[in-house]
Amino acid sequence: MAKSVLNESRQIARAVSLINLGARLQVLESETDLSYERLLRLYKEVAGKSPSKGQLPFSTDWFLTWQPNIHASLFLNTYEYLGKVSALEDIDAIMKAFKLYCEQIASCDVEPLLSITRAWRLVKFIDNNMLTMTRCSKCGGHFVTEPYENARHFVCGLCEPPARAGKSAAAGGILLH
Amino acid sequence: MTNEQILSEIREANLTYLMLAQNLIRSDRAEALFRLGMSEESADLIANLSPAQILKIASGNMLLCRFRVDDDIVWNLLTNHTTRKVDNDATTRLHASILMAGRYREAMPS
Repeated sequence: MAKSVLNESRQIARAVSLINLGARLQVLESETDLSYERLLRLYKEVAGKSPSKGQLPFSTDWFLTWQPNIHASLFLNTYEYLGKVSALEDIDAIMKAFKLYCEQIASCDVEPLLSITRAWRLVKFIDNNMLTMTRCSKCGGHFVTEPYENARHFVCGLCEPPARAGKSAAAGGILLH
Repeated sequence: MTNEQILSEIREANLTYLMLAQNLIRSDRAEALFRLGMSEESADLIANLSPAQILKIASGNMLLCRFRVDDDIVWNLLTNHTTRKVDNDATTRLHASILMAGRYREAMPS
């Protein structure tokens, strides 16, 4: 394919938005056609520092623990909403949903637990059927679960919080009382 | 409130709503659809209204924006009325946000 200047400028703009949202280099590599060297240079220019090195540490387990699950579910519902009502490219939908997620979390006085990289990972896990959304039989909301969750008996972590949930005094966490 | 006041308040609310909706749609369509909870078709209609049309449409005896929460569960969460296992205002609002973000059906073309 011939190199299109317009396409390249679009790719750079996308990479810059992702860097500004705090995305790791792996996300940029996967979501743009720019070379590793160019992305590295761009990253240093935009963020003013070298990107974190190493593997992305996240497994599906993290998204299933109580607090992260609530955050992940809010993000994913927003992401799917955007995808349903308008034709967006995947990565644009992820960025917009992440922004809306941060807004909603802030309005509830809770610290955001998801980073853009984690949000992106979550969407990949969903795409690969390693995680899915299951409807809560009590409130009807959709929550991130394992793919083989029994939909008839599933109850979400907000309708039936686990015994020790919400007890931590950490500031910015989800509290039950 | 006199009848005249009611009509002028409705007109004011309609104007504010239509102008806000138009700004949101013009600055970021997808985001606006989520915030407004409306279909693409409605958004297109509103985006293309001229100021004169907006003024005309806003003056009537009916509100143009509709109540988005027509569901007891979401409403109870938003107002934190029921005594439930979770008794924290921020957390129940978070719960309501998850439920509301899942309601895209109303924003789909029928």
